[in-house]
Formats: sequence, C-alpha cells, structure tokens
Amino acid sequence: MLIREDILSPKERVMALLTGKPLDRIICMPIVTTNTAQLIGRTVKEFQLDGKVMAEAHIASFKKFGYDLIYLFTNCSYVAEAMGAELDYSEGEPANCDVPVINSREDLSKIKVAEKNDGQFPVYYEALEILNKEVGDQVFISVCFSGPVSTAATLRGVEAFARDTYLDPELCHTLLRMATDSCKNFIREIVKFGAMPIILEPIASGSLFSPKMFDKIAFPYIKELVDLAHELKALVPLHICGKTNKIVDKMTDTGADVISLDKCDLAIAREKVAGRALILGNIDPANELLFGPVEEIHRVCIEALDIMKGYTPAFVLSTGCETANKVPFEHIQAMLDVARSHGLNEYKVGE
Amino acid sequence: MDKETLLREISHALVEFEVEKVAGLAEEALKQNISAYETITEGLVPGMKEVGRLYEEEEYFLPEVLMCSDAFNAGLDIVNPFLDKSSLDKPIKMVIGVIEGDTHDIGKNLVRILSGASGFEVYDLGRDVTLDRFIEKAEEVESDWIGMSTLMTTTMDGMKTVIDRLKDRNIRDKYKIIIGGGPISQTFCDKIGADLYANDASSAVRKVKELMGRA
Repeated sequence: MLIREDILSPKERVMALLTGKPLDRIICMPIVTTNTAQLIGRTVKEFQLDGKVMAEAHIASFKKFGYDLIYLFTNCSYVAEAMGAELDYSEGEPANCDVPVINSREDLSKIKVAEKNDGQFPVYYEALEILNKEVGDQVFISVCFSGPVSTAATLRGVEAFARDTYLDPELCHTLLRMATDSCKNFIREIVKFGAMPIILEPIASGSLFSPKMFDKIAFPYIKELVDLAHELKALVPLHICGKTNKIVDKMTDTGADVISLDKCDLAIAREKVAGRALILGNIDPANELLFGPVEEIHRVCIEALDIMKGYTPAFVLSTGCETANKVPFEHIQAMLDVARSHGLNEYKVGE
Repeated sequence: MDKETLLREISHALVEFEVEKVAGLAEEALKQNISAYETITEGLVPGMKEVGRLYEEEEYFLPEVLMCSDAFNAGLDIVNPFLDKSSLDKPIKMVIGVIEGDTHDIGKNLVRILSGASGFEVYDLGRDVTLDRFIEKAEEVESDWIGMSTLMTTTMDGMKTVIDRLKDRNIRDKYKIIIGGGPISQTFCDKIGADLYANDASSAVRKVKELMGRA
C-alpha cells in the first residue's frame, strides 16, 4: 500500500470539499476523543475536568495522526450535569450518571435549563481557546454533546424515560424541552469559538426506540438544534449510535449536514441520505479497530470506500463510535494509512 | 367468555400492553376456575413470546417491551398465589449480570424480562458485577447458564477472565456461557470461547432454549 504524503492541511482539505475544489485524498475523521489523554500521560478524569489537559491531549493526537477533525468530547452526560444531574467521575472512564435526578414530577425543581457557565461547559471553552490558538489554522474543531433525548433520558433514567413515552408523555416532553434549550445555549457558546457542534443521540438509537417514537420524541427537538446551528452559520453533524437502518432517512430529514453512522448498512444509508448530507462512518471501534490486525482494518476501510465510491457530496471515512482507550493507536493509524493511499482521481503519484 | 377466548384475550391484551385489562382478565380466569398454570402457560407466556418475536423483528422496542412486561407481571401477580408449583417443568437456570466497570444494563434487563417470561429461573446480579460473583452465584444456585453483558469496550475482557477462571477451577464444562452487548460480536465470542453470542435479548432467550432442547 503506497502511503502518500498529504498536500493540503486538514482545514484546507475540508474547505476544498465544502467549496467543490479537488482534494488530495479522501477525508478521514476517526472519532478520537478522551483516549488522547494517554498520549500525554494524563487520566480520563483530568481530561474531563481541565480544559488545558483536554487541549494538550488533542494537540498531541492531532500532531501524531493529522486527521481531518478534532472531536472534543468528555462523556454522554455533561449536558445533564449542567442541568443539575450528578455524575460519577472515575480516573480511567468517562463520567456517567448512575442515579437519575428525576424520579417524579416533583423532582423537576431540582433541574434547570443549563446556561453558558453551568456544569463543566467552561472546560470546553478553555480547551477551544487553546486549540484555536495552537492548531486552529490547520484543522477544524468540533464539540460533541448529548442531544435532547439522550440528555432527558439521563435525567430520568433510560427505562423510566422509555415507560414515560407511553405513561407520561407530558413529563417526557417537559424534560425534552428543557434539554433542548440547554443544548441551544451550549451551541450558541461553542459556535462563538468557531467550533462545529455535533449532536450525539445514543439513546435515540434505532436499537432502543421505534422509528415512530423517533418522530415523536427525537425528530422535532433535534431539528430545532439543527435549525439553530444553521442560523448561526455552523455546519452540524448528527451522530446516532447503534442501529440506524430504519431511521437514517429521518436523521437526514432533520437537515443535519453530516450523518454520522454506527451500525448502519452503508448501502442503505447511501440510498436514503441520497446526497442530502455527507455520510460519515462506520468502522467498528469494538471489533476490527479494537482487535485488528492492521490488514483487516485496511480491508474493512477499503470495503466501506468501495460501497461509497462516487457518493456526493462526500463520504468521510470514520469510526462508528468513539475509539475507546483500549483501541491501539496503530489501528487508528491504519485507517489514516488507507485514507492516504486511496486518494482521489485528481491526485496522481509523482505529482 | 369461554376459556380459550379468555386466554387468547389475555395474550392479546398483554401484547397491546393493556396492564389493567390483563389483570382484570386474570381475575376473570380465576373466577372461571381456570388453573393459574393454564393462565400463565396458555395466556401470559404466549403473549410474551409474541412480544419477543415483535422485538426481534424490530416492531417493538424498549418502551413497548417494558410496558408488556408490566402487563405480564400484573397478570402474574394475580394468579401466582394460586399456582401449583409442582405443575411446572424444571426451569432453565441462568445467572446474569453486567460486567464490572460497566453500569449500562438495559440489554441485560431485557434478557431478564424475556427469559423470566419464558419460564427461566433468572438470578440477576445487576450491573457492575465483580467477576468472581458470576461464578460464586452460578455454583450456589447450580445454574445451567452464565450470561454476561457489557456495552463498553473497556470491560469486554472481563468475560474472558470469567471463562478463564472457570477453566482454572475445572468447572468450565458445568456451565454454558452466553454473552452480549453493544461491542460484543460472534468474533469475540469465538475468541474467548463462550458458548453463545446473541445480538438482542429475544434471540438470546430463543437460542438458549434451542440449545437446551426446549424450543
């Protein structure tokens, strides 16, 4: 496999894509987040609570791999935390919310719509400021956060939330409303730093809710976030974990600019998204990327590229979900090697 | 309402997750001197079996399965006190839990619900379960199966450790091992030498029953 040197910087490459100019290679954005802390010998906990650590870890990782997007992300519960949920922080794992804050309607008084400086939001602002200064000229930076459904379900507990969709839809919608407004406040802040907001909805997954329920509890709220991002002139990807074969069209209907997929058949996605958005995905971070070997990673990446060949506006080679601490860095490198060897027609060896 | 219609109505109301209706019909069955055993095996269990099928076919999802399980339990609560326990088959015993370090338990809970509704005797150790606890509990209750679940890549190896420890104690063959969860795959199952991988709760129950010749 001939691995060519990049000609464009990641930022130039993405700009070229957005403005319809030729690229030197395919775009590659593996979801590398908290696992970058290892590169600078810091813990996941430090990474989650200190913007300087977050920035330094990401700079080290970006310099190592040269991928096309930096993903700032700590855990799936930090919007809920900013609204009043308590999280458990451990040294080596992303924080999570073990005990739901909303056990009855009366508990609604314990939460509020998150504003600019609530919870750990400021950690992101600090990291963004440093990253903009250090690598902002070379690469785009994004911030991933749990969207309305995942945040509401974290506040309420997933199973209670699931029952509420039938037993107390009003409570569902109250929580979804507050979560949406919290996300909007956060989006407004991160866009000011020039960062791209990425909506994550692990709980709105087609593994947990029916497409019909997605229409009721997820679609209108996600669309509101997409509309806001567009008003603010930001591109906005939507990432949903787990199965999405049956909702990938609905994901696209939200108007999201990038459809980021996990366990979805790319051929189905290609047909349903149908050029309305970029498709990003979906090398399995718990299978090939975790176990390797490198040749197998090459194989599945090339397979994905073949399925998506000629897709416009573009297919972005990425992982189906975030890469965990245990994913070997050589395996992430293997993805980038494929990107650097499977270029576009415009790129010719020797030029 | 004759017996057959009544039992069919129970199944139907359960699948439609009409909790109160299922309870009411179970009361009605008692009044008509239909045995608790029949109400369970001919009304409630077929209803949950249909729910499992709908779940596997992606017609039903988490909320619907939970609601149906509430309806199942509502019916069961009514008739259970009158159940002649000797009328039951020897149940398949299964110890289940989410691996230490992980608290994601939705999938595991669905396995508990669907296997329980299929007549399994389920010992649910909960989430964040220490690895030795799986073995201790399986030994204590003389379980047929050990079921382990995780959603996180970081905790997957715990499954292998449990299997290795069973081997170290020369008791690996006493148990069948089923594993599942987001990052788990058939590849991983083969790699660590588990007996069965299932990619959803309903197929987990179905496959276990098949392997036990109870399908």
